[in-house]
Amino acid sequence: MSAPLRWIIRLLASVALIGAIVFVYFRLVPVNSTTVALTLLLAILAIAAKWGLTESIVASIAAVLGFNYFFLPPVGTFTIADPQNWVALLAFLVTAITASQLSVRARGRAAEAIARRQEVERLYALGQAMLLSGSVRNTARDAVNSIIRTFEIPAAAFFSKAENEFFRSDPQTLAISDELLRGIADRGEPLLDREHQMAVLPIGLGGQVIGSLGFVGCTLSTAALNALAYLVAIGIERARSLEQANRTEAARQSEILKATLLDALAHDLKTPLTSIKGAVTHLLAQQHDPGENELLTIANEEADRLNRMVVEVLEMARIEAAKLHPDRAPHAIDDIIAAALRIQEEALKDRRVELRVPASLPAANVDFEFIQQVLKQLLDNAVKYSPPGSPLEISAEAANEKIVISVADRGAGIPEEEQSRVFDKFYRGRASRDEVVGTGLGLSIAKGIIEAHGGKIWVSSEPGKGSVFSFALPIFKGELVQ
Amino acid sequence: MSGAKILVVDDEPQIRRMMRATLTGSGHQVDEARTGEEALEKFRAFLPDLVLLDLNMPGMGGLEACRAMRSGSDVPIIILTVRNAEKEKVEALDAGADDYVCKPFGMQELLARIRAALRRAPSSPESGPPGFVSEDLEIDFADRRVRVNGNPVRLTPKEFELLRHLVSRGGKPVPHRELLQAVWGPDYGDETDYLRVFINHLRKKIEADPAHPKYVLTEPWVGYRFAIPGEQ
Repeated sequence: MSAPLRWIIRLLASVALIGAIVFVYFRLVPVNSTTVALTLLLAILAIAAKWGLTESIVASIAAVLGFNYFFLPPVGTFTIADPQNWVALLAFLVTAITASQLSVRARGRAAEAIARRQEVERLYALGQAMLLSGSVRNTARDAVNSIIRTFEIPAAAFFSKAENEFFRSDPQTLAISDELLRGIADRGEPLLDREHQMAVLPIGLGGQVIGSLGFVGCTLSTAALNALAYLVAIGIERARSLEQANRTEAARQSEILKATLLDALAHDLKTPLTSIKGAVTHLLAQQHDPGENELLTIANEEADRLNRMVVEVLEMARIEAAKLHPDRAPHAIDDIIAAALRIQEEALKDRRVELRVPASLPAANVDFEFIQQVLKQLLDNAVKYSPPGSPLEISAEAANEKIVISVADRGAGIPEEEQSRVFDKFYRGRASRDEVVGTGLGLSIAKGIIEAHGGKIWVSSEPGKGSVFSFALPIFKGELVQ
Repeated sequence: MSGAKILVVDDEPQIRRMMRATLTGSGHQVDEARTGEEALEKFRAFLPDLVLLDLNMPGMGGLEACRAMRSGSDVPIIILTVRNAEKEKVEALDAGADDYVCKPFGMQELLARIRAALRRAPSSPESGPPGFVSEDLEIDFADRRVRVNGNPVRLTPKEFELLRHLVSRGGKPVPHRELLQAVWGPDYGDETDYLRVFINHLRKKIEADPAHPKYVLTEPWVGYRFAIPGEQ
């Protein structure tokens, strides 16, 4: 039944009710005029409370006319002789208007409360739907679909700033343009267009806007819209942090797995080498004829070489698997240099090593063992790639919050086109690759170590004069513990 | 030095075979264990003069076995392992090991280390001071006793030898190499990390503030020295 039809029926019913009362008192139950007036007043009150202002005013007029015509003297005319009848008319009208307004207000409040309750229920349903979604994308997509379903609106769209992606409930309804969504997300100001029933809200938590949400055909209250915006923001952020946690966990797991595999591999490769090396060196120590000795020496040297390769390849794999976690502490650079020199003592025995290390050098925040390994590698290279007996130089200086340590040799140097490649994995100098033993991993391991410390390693070289390998390390700020 | 009883603990049969052949060939008596648990049994039954202990074994690992053996005995323990990270080395020395050899190793090197470990420093010093006394530290070398603020402190044999050598040099710096050779043996000299670990242990036991030591001082580039209060 349409609203105007219902309204006409209610008007007719009001008039009919008044008519019925007048008929009953006039023809069936004779009472005095005060009783009639009170009864009519009750009827008007009931109509006002039940239906509203128009119906009650129409009923009031009908009641005044009926009361006047049938009960007030002179009966049978519409003349009002006594001024008290004006009072009756006024009483009917005032009652009608006041009661109807009160009831309209009460009914309005009830309707509003129901609408709020529905909004809260819908928001709750939306929150539930978004909790189950998983990834950020799924959450955004589900949020848009849940909004149109739970709030019964034709279209909604969400723009996520971080993903720079638009999620639309229906691609056909593009009333909310990409530019509009992006603009609201950038400005952070909501757009409420009640006339076109369109709203676009910035979505964010703690003052940071993460996107925007737009609706078409939306009649939600401002409070509900704000709640909706918060709900979507919380859902999306929750999905994002979950996703991040999962990614971190996955990365950690794979790091642990790689580390375990590398440890197992190291063990499996070195175990047979241990047996070979032990057996061969034991035999070497016995008396043999020169031919046997030569063969055993070869076997021993090759076992060593194989071991070096295993160590370096695994070291490289470890660095690549990001397993290299420097155990950083403040260390004096001269201590590290001294330790590296001691390790290389045998190789350096016919070399003059010049040290230029100022006593006032600050400490470096580094892993002692790793940096010692880098220095050892640079010294090893300097010895390998410079003529026997030629001097080496180690220098260190502090500059711009960094300590720069250099190892210089007076070898053949590195041609310019090769300088950028010497730190590459398995790269070996063209001129010397057949004469010098090595895997081509030493410098890339050194690079990995220095970079894991947040430092930098580089080479400068002049062919014919020698090479200088340098690396920069962060300075430790604080007191050095001996 | 020949004729020592050596317990070889390793889960790899080929390594046990090789060790048995080479060590027996060098005149030692060998018994084997495949796990930490078996090592502890053999340790009681075989009564070895020295233990060669692998770290990475199924079941009870080498570190735990090392601690268990060390808790009731001063028998030298040499760790043989494929791992060569500083952390592992420190852990093994902390667990009471005397030495740490990375696989693969040359047999002559291992035999030299075995000889050094068996040639333990004598229990009473042939030279050097009988002791040291200051207000908070008291050392009696003859009785191998150390007291800090009157409370007895237990030092391992290596820590004790280290302290004795430092004190015997009367406040002068002792180079790394000299300390290593005095405490570990003549074939040592490059193992400065051993010194760092044992000096740290020593400082934790006898210094009031190990981070700012009063007695056992680092001499940059050189080594360590024992500072006698009042003398500089």
